Amino acid sequence: MATFRFPGGLDPILGLRYMQREFERMFGRSEGAAEAVAAAEYPPVNVLSGEEEILVQCEVAGVAREDLDLTITGETLTVRGTKRPPGDEEQLRYQRRERGVGDFARTIVLPDRIDADRAEAKVSDGVLTVRLPKAESARPRQIRVS
Amino acid sequence: MADQDASVKVHVDPVRRAAPEEALRPAVDIYQEPDGTTVLLAEVPGATSERVDVRVEKGVLSLWAASELADPGPSYAPTYRGFTGGEYFRAFALSDEVDRERIEASLTDGVLRIRLPRAAAARTRKIEITPG
Repeated sequence: MATFRFPGGLDPILGLRYMQREFERMFGRSEGAAEAVAAAEYPPVNVLSGEEEILVQCEVAGVAREDLDLTITGETLTVRGTKRPPGDEEQLRYQRRERGVGDFARTIVLPDRIDADRAEAKVSDGVLTVRLPKAESARPRQIRVS
Repeated sequence: MADQDASVKVHVDPVRRAAPEEALRPAVDIYQEPDGTTVLLAEVPGATSERVDVRVEKGVLSLWAASELADPGPSYAPTYRGFTGGEYFRAFALSDEVDRERIEASLTDGVLRIRLPRAAAARTRKIEITPG
């Protein structure tokens, strides 16, 4: 079961998920067991489209910068990474485990063609920000009528 | 550059921030290390250490954080929105075994880490039987 939540309560069965988790806890099934990050929904992203560039924000709390990997093609951005457990799992006694661990990948189809060579990315406080300048051909252009 | 491990001040006083309405509920891990210290990890992406507040009052540990996503301006049209900034809030009942004066908190890569050391009184103590 994926434990990543969508902030803002977009998950319609969140209540059920909590209930399921409590049941699992009661019967000791998922206690301490590593849970894989659901690749389809993690990490959450925002895509904003400006005149000159496309801005992608990505929520990657707890992922070290070295464990993040970005791949850009003309029209897609793939965010790959590994979320590591806080320590030796054998040594830690978990009481509650809602944060996922493991490898993740998410491919975002961009709304326009971009210039991959001029892309910039930075990560601060668990938020990855990628700036993707639009390709020359994707920018608005005025065509003079002769 | 990895984020610096910023120290977060832990308040042990009666002023408590009320739970904000519509606060985001941060995902947490709670585990015990081999020495008995309990560690709580809470995901508060986008929050800086100045915008984090950890309090202990009447046996309740409450954590609050606020994240502001960089707003690029009105010329940017949101194409897809998967998360937002906002306030995070969550509170936990503390066990009596936790030494309240020695709670430490730090913030790294958007994860708030709160160390809750065991009180000396809670450690196993062998009691000698005095011959009487």
